Amino acid sequence: MANVPLMSISEPPAPERGLTRAERGRDISAAQAEAEAETSTGRRLLLSMSPRFVWSQAEGYPVVIKQFLQFCLILIYPAWVVGVLASAAIYYAVYSVLWVLFWPVRAWMKKNRPDDYAASQLK
Amino acid sequence: MRRLFRPARVQVTVSPSVVWPCQSVDVRANTAKPISDVISARIELGYYNFYRYRWAGRADAAATAATNAMWLTEDVGTTYGTDRDAKEWIGIFAAELPTPTSVFTEGSATFRLPSWAPASSSQIARWSCRLIVQRRGIDIDEATEFAVVVGPDDARADIGSLEQVTGSAAARLDIELPRVVFRAGETIEGAIVITPSRDLPAGDVRVKWQGQRDSHPRTRTPGFDEIVNGRSVQLEKHVTLREGRPVRLPFDTALPQDAAPTASAVNSSMRWFVSATMFYAGFASPGTESVRRPIAVVNAVG
Repeated sequence: MANVPLMSISEPPAPERGLTRAERGRDISAAQAEAEAETSTGRRLLLSMSPRFVWSQAEGYPVVIKQFLQFCLILIYPAWVVGVLASAAIYYAVYSVLWVLFWPVRAWMKKNRPDDYAASQLK
Repeated sequence: MRRLFRPARVQVTVSPSVVWPCQSVDVRANTAKPISDVISARIELGYYNFYRYRWAGRADAAATAATNAMWLTEDVGTTYGTDRDAKEWIGIFAAELPTPTSVFTEGSATFRLPSWAPASSSQIARWSCRLIVQRRGIDIDEATEFAVVVGPDDARADIGSLEQVTGSAAARLDIELPRVVFRAGETIEGAIVITPSRDLPAGDVRVKWQGQRDSHPRTRTPGFDEIVNGRSVQLEKHVTLREGRPVRLPFDTALPQDAAPTASAVNSSMRWFVSATMFYAGFASPGTESVRRPIAVVNAVG
């Protein structure tokens, strides 16, 4: 009978494990990472309007489904652009009102809490 | 159905059928009649590792966030179904059986289970021994399962410390436990110690156990962590919180009988916690405090 005796006493190292979602970081496409790295909201919105950004939303899907999704994304591209422009319009309208409204608060902070003010201006 | 038409040509037996880490297992393979045209034969010992992965799309894509938002408004567009259950064979040992005459009749091998062997459970690992015979005809792959159980001595010592999940620690919550290793089905008896940093509104304290399976596949995109919460045990609804006056509230909560033991495998791992939550009374009071302390759950009996 073929008999293989007890394996050597020194045990093998534990096989390497993978990474969890938290350890991997955000799961996004290169185009989206580029847009998210922008500190200016205007530029971020502009980049998210680019066809490359929209096209990359189909990444990670299996073949055929991915191509179908890209086809659908081309169809909805005008709606995507309108959506981004609408959110830009809302953003700037609300932001400008708040900017004027909080002018006295900022002026007070700049004068009395210069360090906190500088920190709040960082992006 | 396969068995009905083609009965097993090889009988694989594993003894003992319940094993502890660092223990040896004997694997024996017998055939009813000799198997000819054999190229190679080997016995593999390992486990099927269960995990969840994301099969479609990038998890944090802008479009995914948009569809999630639509789902909240009960509209179309949902990422439901993007996570799938999967299993992978993780081979730990392989022993080649010599077959010089190209005929296989019987073979055996002895393995010593490593100390880091994850315990058997439906959540993480199902251990088995496989005889794989490669032939010039149809290959043979027969397996027999066995169970790996872990006892208190097998639990890892560096289990982690108390973690603050939410809240600003306006009152510091601590979970006192007699030990960190518990058996499945055991009742955990401990105490919550609340140390207010200042005078605070009355607190409402509750405790529960929590099991968490993390998926971390080597190649695929991991799925979401899965958390199972035990029944909340209400301790005190109106705890008076005054600076410099710590409050101690004893509690007990029973772990489920079928709790999957704490384990760390290649593609997934199982962790257990005792979690304490305190809500403050009133509208403008500090945010809910929530802490959890890691524990280890083992499944060995006796």
